[in-house]
Amino acid sequence: MWFEFKVAWRFLKSGKTQTLLILLGIIVGVSVQVFLGSLIGGLQQDLVNQTVGTSPHVTILPENEIPRPLVVNEDKYSRVITFASSTSGINRWREIEEYLNEEEQITEVSPTIDGSGFAVRGQKNLQVVMRGIELDKADGIYNINENLVNGQADIGGNNIIIGTELANELELQPGDTLKLNTSGGVSDRFIVRGIFDLGSKELNSSWIFMSIRRASTLFNFSDQISNIEVQISDVFASDQVADQIMNRFNNINAESWQRNNQQLLTALQSQSSSSLIIQIFVIIAVTLGIASVLAVSVVQKSRQIGILKAMGTKRKRVGIIFLIQGAILGLTGSILGALSGIGLSQAFVTFTRGATGDPLFPITINPTFILISIVIATSAGMIAASIPARNSAKLNPIEVIHNA
Amino acid sequence: MPNMIETKNLIKVYGKEVKNEVLHGINLEIKKGEFSSIIGPSGSGKSTLLNLLGALDNPTEGEIYLNGSQINKLDDDQLADFRNKNIGFVFQFHHLLPEFTSVENVMMPNWIGDSNNPDQDENRAMELLDLVGLKGFENKLITKLSGGQKQRVAVARSLMNKPELILADEPTGNLDTETSTKIYDLLRDINKELDTTFIVVTHDRHIASKTDRVIEIIDGRIDKDYLNSPEHEYDNFENVAPKYCFLCGENVIK
Ligand SMILES: Nc1ncnc2c1ncn2[C@@H]1O[C@H](COP(=O)(O)OP(=O)(O)OP(=O)(O)O)[C@@H](O)[C@H]1O
Ligand SMILES: [Mg+2]
Repeated sequence: MWFEFKVAWRFLKSGKTQTLLILLGIIVGVSVQVFLGSLIGGLQQDLVNQTVGTSPHVTILPENEIPRPLVVNEDKYSRVITFASSTSGINRWREIEEYLNEEEQITEVSPTIDGSGFAVRGQKNLQVVMRGIELDKADGIYNINENLVNGQADIGGNNIIIGTELANELELQPGDTLKLNTSGGVSDRFIVRGIFDLGSKELNSSWIFMSIRRASTLFNFSDQISNIEVQISDVFASDQVADQIMNRFNNINAESWQRNNQQLLTALQSQSSSSLIIQIFVIIAVTLGIASVLAVSVVQKSRQIGILKAMGTKRKRVGIIFLIQGAILGLTGSILGALSGIGLSQAFVTFTRGATGDPLFPITINPTFILISIVIATSAGMIAASIPARNSAKLNPIEVIHNA
Repeated sequence: MPNMIETKNLIKVYGKEVKNEVLHGINLEIKKGEFSSIIGPSGSGKSTLLNLLGALDNPTEGEIYLNGSQINKLDDDQLADFRNKNIGFVFQFHHLLPEFTSVENVMMPNWIGDSNNPDQDENRAMELLDLVGLKGFENKLITKLSGGQKQRVAVARSLMNKPELILADEPTGNLDTETSTKIYDLLRDINKELDTTFIVVTHDRHIASKTDRVIEIIDGRIDKDYLNSPEHEYDNFENVAPKYCFLCGENVIK
């Protein structure tokens, strides 16, 4: 192998311009590949993070989501039925919570009582979602403490915390009182203790956190709760986890973020496949480039091949010389290409920072992906070399020796 | 003395559809240590014969024995191995690898033969370059050498694997007379010192007249085959295929 390697190396070195050009081609190809892969990977991870980072992956709800008649108003001419989607909550929630806490892949469990109503201050009357939580448990999902922009995260007694949008709209500061009316007709005054920014305008303008106990009396839930929110370690296992929970307990429904975000996932998938197609074409271009350069090289070096054969080099070894050239080109080209792709990604991150100084484009550099790129480019180099290698092996030494 | 080369009724046909029989049954015996020359008009089949003797090509019919072993039944890879171990070549256009230095070119046969003693190989290559008068040029690239120097490197290379047989096809064909004589003298010295068998194809009457034996080929047949006494070079000169003007390279009758 040493002999073949030495000759391959000299052949490449002697055709410097040619070697450098094809190396450049491979470098450009692989760096585009690495850059594109990192950018798309980063964007996708960011999208997924935004979708599931601070939200439940699986939500456990009571089963009877079927609307049932709540109020029936009948007179001579018409019949008006008001439906309620769900009045009863989850009864056995402590048992379920205990089970969830035991499960390995489940990282956060937060029992919640939800209710809707209105926040009233002065003339303003805004629709809100009141969420009764246990602060330390919900914090695991929503990072409430971290996302608090004003006041403190205190939801004891009649204390509540509200979002930034709602606070602005109603001109509320920590310490102010706020009247809340539930859709069930109950009304009470609460003290705003803290203001949070969960990163979503909708949540910031409508969510109000209070203690689960306070919500229980406010919405008259006695020993039930409305749902249990869960986060899991592998976000893409949410379907399986939801199914597992549903199989384990009766009368509940478990919703996964994946099922609720089919469209997003489909979009991500088609993005991945178009990225894959681009990568495949880059590989094809690189392979063709190496193949054509080596095909020319076999013709250029036919005299040398003839001499080597006349001196006793066997057919196979002559072919190996060209395979090694392909491997050297593929390997050095792809390593340099990967490095320049990483550099390009870093430069991109550095130069496209937003006003806050955070990168606009999150880029994920995945070592496995880069390694795979290098392996593929190197194998492509050898595959590309195999045809010229076969041609070189066929060369007859006397044909070559005959001519000057 | 045992025979270095023995051929029986060698026939070579080129071409598949249009058959062209170039050698019509060559029977030849060459003794160990003999320094022979092959002469003849252009296209008579000299190179074809030399290629067969050098295991570079297989005959269409007939048998070849080199140093007692039959080589005309070997396949490509076996022939390659045989050449590497037993035969040295010197070609008209030196045929060195321009990507390598002198000493690397000289070592090439041993690299190909997977010799596992690089230090010893390099020492031998250095000695051989010294022998052909190229001390100091060992690490120069081939492209930096003159025609005569290249041919000396080629001679050194042909000696590298200590072959018992060296075949040279017009080794001085594109060198001036003075350089030709020097290369020839070098081959002669090696022949005397190492008892290496030489067969030299040449167009040069001076060279042919200095060899032990002259084999003249015309139209694919051995036309004449006679011994020279090298001491009487000038007497030989007129005998050596007087019909050809070798230096003209054409079949001009004088
Ligand atoms: N590889 C080949 N394929 C087909 N025909 C060939 C081949 N090599 C040689 N010939 C033919 O065989 C004949 C003998 O060629 P050869 O090269 O042996 O002659 P030569 O005596 O060496 O001539 P020269 O003195 O010009 O070198 C020529 O007619 C040539 O055209
Ligand atoms: Mg010839």
